[in-house]
Amino acid sequence: MFDNNVFIEGTCKNVVENGEIIGYEMETNITYYRGIPLSMVNFVAVEVDGIKVPEEDIRFTPDHIDWFTLKEMETVATIKWEYGIPATVRVLQKGGLSKGSHEVKLTVCTRTAYIPFPLEGNMTRTVIIE
Amino acid sequence: MGIKTAVSLYSLQYQFLQGKMTLDDIFKFVKDINADGIEILPDQMLRGTPTPTEATYAEWDALTSKYNLDLVCDDIFLNTNLYKSRELTRRECIELIKQEIIMAHRLGFKIIRLVSMTPAWILEPCLETAEKYGVALCIEVHGGLGFGVDKTDEFLNEMLRLDSPYIGIVPDTSLFCRKVPRIVGNYCNKLFGTNPDLIKYAEEVFENGTDFFALEKKHGKMDPKLASLIKDPAKDMFYAANLSGYENCALSCMDPFVKYIKHVHFKLYEMTDEGIEYSIDFKEVLDYLHKHGYNGHVATEYEGNRWILPDEEIPDKEQVASHQKLIQKLIKEIEG
Repeated sequence: MFDNNVFIEGTCKNVVENGEIIGYEMETNITYYRGIPLSMVNFVAVEVDGIKVPEEDIRFTPDHIDWFTLKEMETVATIKWEYGIPATVRVLQKGGLSKGSHEVKLTVCTRTAYIPFPLEGNMTRTVIIE
Repeated sequence: MGIKTAVSLYSLQYQFLQGKMTLDDIFKFVKDINADGIEILPDQMLRGTPTPTEATYAEWDALTSKYNLDLVCDDIFLNTNLYKSRELTRRECIELIKQEIIMAHRLGFKIIRLVSMTPAWILEPCLETAEKYGVALCIEVHGGLGFGVDKTDEFLNEMLRLDSPYIGIVPDTSLFCRKVPRIVGNYCNKLFGTNPDLIKYAEEVFENGTDFFALEKKHGKMDPKLASLIKDPAKDMFYAANLSGYENCALSCMDPFVKYIKHVHFKLYEMTDEGIEYSIDFKEVLDYLHKHGYNGHVATEYEGNRWILPDEEIPDKEQVASHQKLIQKLIKEIEG
């Protein structure tokens, strides 16, 4: 139901720090219709060309101030992922995505206040790295 | 006095999400279509709730004085599942609701809509705060989550027991669907390939004056005929499972609670080219409210936005404007 909120088109790119590619990242809106504390993000998953990224390599920020691992996010009850403000999902991987075309799938799953099951949104985009 | 109109800003959530409309643009739009007031989900369009910064409050104050719309209803949620590992304790839940009451008061609202399934036990411990700040706590009574659902019934019983002007209900017209929303069947058929016979059967059930929530209650499980028409769960289950959210109740289901109605959600799935809502007869609903002396607001809550195909534009502004035109006309006719 919220698939269209996931993985904003044109946002996936390699990340360069101190002259080195440390990984890649993409932006996404929330799979819900309101903002929630980060502890209510049930999980985030990334798959590239059919291969799942290890959970421990994923980092998440709702605002580019604080970055968290998915495990750390489970305890973050005071910082919110606001509705209408894209969060950034980063995958730490030396060298990032290789040149060429990749099928990148992002899944975002949130727990909600009254719906008994978590709300999952998926989006796969073709990403070209030049 | 009389029935007044409002727009739940939920209706325009995609305009906000996609950055096409700011909150100021949305207020202007609501004013331009002559609605009297607004309803808001602070978690959706304000930042840092339930404890926003003074800067956020100042922006809100500027907006509300600029447009002078009635501040009708504040839609809140209780994050009982804040943590993955445990449910919040009662004390934690009560504290969260108290924070929401204080924020609602500061924003200028006198009615809080508690989302369906909010536990009844928050009421008594929060009542003193509600009275102090002049904010009524009202449960949403929504199709599929309303009358006959344990948690809602518990809330209603507690409301009757406490019998306070600061506790009430917000009925949602998803309870009064005379036709199953067409837009949902079209969406599921085009996107998932949902079995047309299943959709046709759903239409027949509503034509026969019942609904799938009632049939599920009667059978104690999914209506057997509905289950038999699920040929491929990947194509059919989403549509079938969603059906119980639309009820075909008589208006009289509200009779025992009518004095507790503080606000009404006028659910909108699809305005047709003829200027009526496809599923809900709003004249029938407004007649009922008028007959019972209701003089609060009725708020457009456009939910058709969920049922637009991914590559199509969501006609939210057009749908909301058309719905407001209808209900404003009906109110004039009924009230004279």
